[in-house]
Amino acid sequence: MKTLILGEVIDNKLSSGTLEIINKANSLSLEYKVVTVGSSDAPVIGSSTFHQTYIKRSAESLQFNNVADKLSQIIQEENISLVLAPSTYQCRDLVSFLSVDLLSSPVSNVINFDIQDDSVVTTNSINGGESIYKTKITSSCSLLLIRPKSFDPIDLELNNEYETIEVENSAIEIFDVFKEEKSGPQLEDSKIVISAGRGMVEKENLSLVEDLANKLNAAIGGTRAIVDAGWMPYSQQVGQTGKTVKPDVYIACGISGATQHQVGMKDSKFIIAINKDEEAPIFQLADLGIVGDTLSVIPKINENI
Amino acid sequence: MNITVCAKQIPDPANEITYDNGLISRPEEQVLDDTDRYGIEIALQLKEKYEGEVTVISMGPAGTQKGLQQALQMGADKTLYVDDDSLKGSNSLMTASILSELAKTTDADIVIFGTESTDGYTGTVPQQVARFLKLDCISYIKAIEISENVTLTRQTLEGSEKVIMPEKCVLSVTAGGVEPRYPNFKDIMAAKQKPIEKVELSSLNMNASQNLEFLDIEKLENSKNGEKIIDEGEAYQVVIEKLKELKVI
Repeated sequence: MKTLILGEVIDNKLSSGTLEIINKANSLSLEYKVVTVGSSDAPVIGSSTFHQTYIKRSAESLQFNNVADKLSQIIQEENISLVLAPSTYQCRDLVSFLSVDLLSSPVSNVINFDIQDDSVVTTNSINGGESIYKTKITSSCSLLLIRPKSFDPIDLELNNEYETIEVENSAIEIFDVFKEEKSGPQLEDSKIVISAGRGMVEKENLSLVEDLANKLNAAIGGTRAIVDAGWMPYSQQVGQTGKTVKPDVYIACGISGATQHQVGMKDSKFIIAINKDEEAPIFQLADLGIVGDTLSVIPKINENI
Repeated sequence: MNITVCAKQIPDPANEITYDNGLISRPEEQVLDDTDRYGIEIALQLKEKYEGEVTVISMGPAGTQKGLQQALQMGADKTLYVDDDSLKGSNSLMTASILSELAKTTDADIVIFGTESTDGYTGTVPQQVARFLKLDCISYIKAIEISENVTLTRQTLEGSEKVIMPEKCVLSVTAGGVEPRYPNFKDIMAAKQKPIEKVELSSLNMNASQNLEFLDIEKLENSKNGEKIIDEGEAYQVVIEKLKELKVI
């Protein structure tokens, strides 16, 4: 099945979401090429094992329509029948645009897929991961948006050899580009993640979580509620619209565990939950649940480690 | 400025979602998806600056129309909706096709969406509508600043970026971007007089078809039956012992 993997660049390299999809494509022996969209000048995204095309967009112009035009052209000229993309902001825009051009509705939140009798069959997570849903795609081109961490990333030697295509600017100019600062262990790769929720009561109390994170060399995450409240930058949000994490240990502090949060952390290997409310849904996921006030339990842990 | 904002009626999120043959079971009484309140708020702020009309468009079983009423209570001027049995189980592209045709009938300059519905979560409809309408799509808006121009802040993978809103476009708004207003008693009464008009499917062009065949649905058993301890002051010791056992410390 002729396949196009839509790649993305993070820190001048192929994103882990892209590497996860490449690994899966290899395991299914798909005939694929990679087309990566990014704005960095010379990302290291080439490989001797597949053909890479870099669509270079401008960081100063909102030009995803033009990028999609180019992608549509490639898909049609090369008779691509499967498009695989990580479920990120950029790829959601692009795949949605492609779906109109190709008249093929995409499948979102895909966590696994397979080829059966020349058709693509997808497994996707619905209702915040409470149920899984299987779909057979019957259109001539299948479009999949794949949730991060669905597969293990491939370990690849990357180089600078690829074809580059530039796209025209649009009339919409981008300005004030802001990059959130990254410090300490990163959520996606950390073996230990400590997340905070509304049960921390106020922003100042996050210092308790920070102290614990420092002691355990853990990354810090948060629920949408506290990110929306401005306690933490969006890059630290765990859940449906934020990051998906699968650490060895996940410590949920004052998190009730709405399904939208669960979907981002439920595959963690060992889950410790601390929450006042005995009925909080987070306890269903927890390997160890402490029914108690996070604000009194965490300081005692900090003092005794 | 004609502002069209999309609103979805969903089963009350306080209740458990159930499925019938792969489709979400929809009770007669559904509520306004909270995600849409952010889009409606932005529509109302734009109206206050530029005047014009705010039209709510919606697709799906209308039922008691509670959710549509809730959109009007916030301050939208009227609602157009499509409710047709043949649309049951529509994929995102079919939904986007119908919503874009509805938006055309409103002669919209700006079409506004939440980024994804709380029940379906496909998160592709705003962009698909933009492509159908051949308009630019400014997605994942997390802040709006209205002065001489309208400055929109977009959420990006690594942070954020800003753009000036063009005269015609589609916007998708993330939850938390603005503070949706709460209707008061007067707003609630006023909404009862506002028009809610059903548009017949036969008057719209459907430019997409079903390509997703439902195979199976399975509820996951998430419950782990883990150890649960009521803290009486000493539970921290259990956590520390466990962290040692897991070789974290």
